[in-house]
Amino acid sequence: MLKIVDSAVPVACWSCSVARNASTLFCPNCSKIQPPATGDYFAVFGLQPRLNLDLDALEREFHRLSRRLHPDRFARASDSEKEWSLADTALLNDAYRTLKDPLKRTEYVLKLHGAEIGEEHSGNRQDPSRAPADLLEEVFELNMQLEEMRMARQMGDDDPEAAKSLSEAKQKFEGLLEEVDRDLRVQWTAWEEGGDAQRQAAQKQMVALLDRRRYLRNLVRDVTETLGA
Amino acid sequence: MAYSDKVVDHYNNPRNVGTLDKSSQEVGTGLVGAPECGDVMRLQIKVNPETQVIEEAKFKTFGCGSAIASSSLATEWIKGRTVEDALAIKNTDIVKELALPPVKIHCSVLAEDAIRAAIGDWKKKNGVAENAPAAVESAK
Repeated sequence: MLKIVDSAVPVACWSCSVARNASTLFCPNCSKIQPPATGDYFAVFGLQPRLNLDLDALEREFHRLSRRLHPDRFARASDSEKEWSLADTALLNDAYRTLKDPLKRTEYVLKLHGAEIGEEHSGNRQDPSRAPADLLEEVFELNMQLEEMRMARQMGDDDPEAAKSLSEAKQKFEGLLEEVDRDLRVQWTAWEEGGDAQRQAAQKQMVALLDRRRYLRNLVRDVTETLGA
Repeated sequence: MAYSDKVVDHYNNPRNVGTLDKSSQEVGTGLVGAPECGDVMRLQIKVNPETQVIEEAKFKTFGCGSAIASSSLATEWIKGRTVEDALAIKNTDIVKELALPPVKIHCSVLAEDAIRAAIGDWKKKNGVAENAPAAVESAK
């Protein structure tokens, strides 16, 4: 699991003993590979932890580091270095996949800042504000409509009307998803550029938007399944 | 991970699926959701105003098999109990009965929350304080 440490804390390189940033995969002095980083995913790429991330820079660094970690380069290295190259590759891939995806990145950054989101918190009793009544009403209603359409379709086999309403529902859910994604991006900027109060408000908003998104994502999944069946 | 026989049974033959009249004075409605997995569960009760006994219980759940089984079981258990007795049902009882694995414990939490929400709604409708023992003035 991820450990949150100040990535600026220097540690000594195992090979040349020169102090280095604990998040870098290679020593900036002697270029030797280092054990898996202990900082956050952004630091692995030497990037500032931002929601509005420079994706080109991420891509560049990912490819550059992937090349440097290639097993061929460690054919004659020590066993420890071989082991680290594999562990670093796994870390690099996890970090890249998490940061590249806007939603995963948002969840990741919020978790770094103490938000209790994600599957590992699903067993906890939720903060009631996480499931506001109007959202639940809306989602329940949408689910009911979807179920009715599915049943109508089962009854009337290839009823073109039922298929049409399902397609329309799919479009509607996808539209709602896009709306959430747009709103998220607005909050990214508020979170990054605002003061403390604004930042807190934006964080709360983002948690709420991610929650809403999970409900909508399930609806899209269900309607797509029905249409494909 | 395989579902237990009891979960499969409730999933294939859910008890008490349906709707009660939300606007009725005797009906309490609880609508709860689990934001981490996107499940949503509605549980409704119809309470006898004289005896405080839950005479009817209905549910509708959009979610995984465990969520459906948990709410199905919850309606079975609360039917025939008084409101106060129903509040004694704990999610751990549901976990035990259905042999839910740790990753599905939140489904039982959701079912317990749904019972509480439905009873809370009924209490509110009938002017019973949230924490006070249910004692509705019987119909005059």
